[in-house]
Amino acid sequence: MPNAASSSAATVWAILRKECRSEWRTRYGLNAAVLFAVTSLTAVTFSAGRMPDRPDLLAALLWITLLFAALASMSHAFVREMESRTLLLLRLVASPTEIALGKLLFNIAFLLVVEAITVPLFLVLTGAPPVRLTQFLTILGLGTLSLAASSTLVGAVIAQTRSRGALFAGVSLPLLLPVLASGVAGTRAQWDGMPILADVRLLAAYAVALLGVSLLLYDHLWED
Amino acid sequence: MSSGAAVGVRAEKLSHRYGRRATGVDGLAFAFDGHGTVAVTGPNGSGKSTLLRIIAGLLRPTEGATTVIVDGRECPAARRRDFLGLATPELSFYEEFSAMENLAFAAEARRLAAPRRAADAALAVVGLAARAGDRVAAYSSGMKQRLRLAFALLHEPPLLLLDEPGSHLDEAGRDAVREVVAHQAARGLVLLATNDPREIQLAERRIELRGHGLGDPA
Repeated sequence: MPNAASSSAATVWAILRKECRSEWRTRYGLNAAVLFAVTSLTAVTFSAGRMPDRPDLLAALLWITLLFAALASMSHAFVREMESRTLLLLRLVASPTEIALGKLLFNIAFLLVVEAITVPLFLVLTGAPPVRLTQFLTILGLGTLSLAASSTLVGAVIAQTRSRGALFAGVSLPLLLPVLASGVAGTRAQWDGMPILADVRLLAAYAVALLGVSLLLYDHLWED
Repeated sequence: MSSGAAVGVRAEKLSHRYGRRATGVDGLAFAFDGHGTVAVTGPNGSGKSTLLRIIAGLLRPTEGATTVIVDGRECPAARRRDFLGLATPELSFYEEFSAMENLAFAAEARRLAAPRRAADAALAVVGLAARAGDRVAAYSSGMKQRLRLAFALLHEPPLLLLDEPGSHLDEAGRDAVREVVAHQAARGLVLLATNDPREIQLAERRIELRGHGLGDPA
């Protein structure tokens, strides 16, 4: 008999695979996210031109692009289950924590795919100065984890409410501000040649706190 | 998974309210052990579906409690899904997937040893084997109802909760329901929420919910 942890891992893996297959079939989120990223970057570049000497603006633009490209799609992770009335199916085969962890892993994978397309495009179109790869990827990775954790948590909490769309934005904003602030500051610092340790610590602590709170909360969700 | 396990379902002082409105589940108490079929009957809104959801661990009752006992041990609400199958009109499937993909996913999430074989077997029981590869979006209401039954049977649970299982079904589908209930009753327990006289006849015991605070076991 497998132990509880490996059993849960198998269920989480099944949910992650289901999410990936569903996204591949429907392209529900990816097309919208990439379209948003490409359109906004192109518009800004046409308007403001290349700006290699403005790391402050570049850092803000990068995180705003990533944030909105990702959130527009990730907010639907649970909303889609509610609207297509498939959440009951999930609840009958997995615990709330397993469901949420599967969604979280999918959101992380989704963000990585969006970033794999968006970030190189951003660096080329805006003429950004060369990045310090390790620092840049550390900030990006921790920011990705925090973004995915917060959007999964908020998506799970608001899934059964009536005004899901409005609530998602309202509840997400205070949760995302620290991520955005640290992400922008850390990205700018790596371009300026400044230390990024403080921002890395803050992002890491925030990601751990979000994941910890999420794991405590998930099993109490959806108890009618 | 839990095939052939001895199962019992009990309720004590069970009540549920949506806001201020009481369902027929009000002070309900019963105890069913062993094999067989129990019909849950009552007028619309009397709480038949609510009762099944409470037993399934999906809904916390306003008052009282239900207990599911498997092989002599009380099953915690959070693990009940492993020992029961629920088919209800509220259950929907991923329309972008085929019936086989939906059930294979459910079987994987349930950690069954051979997910596709389990899905194949369940689809065969409800007569959907020939259409297993079709996307659910192309299914009729009756085919979706058969798929709900297959989903409930997938892990061969000792406790089967069927909410209006014959809805949308043709005669062949109703025959499949009768066969499923007869087979399950021989190896476990079936709770059948229905007002259809043909389905009520399948049960040897009955809980009658009378609605608005009058619910009690008949």
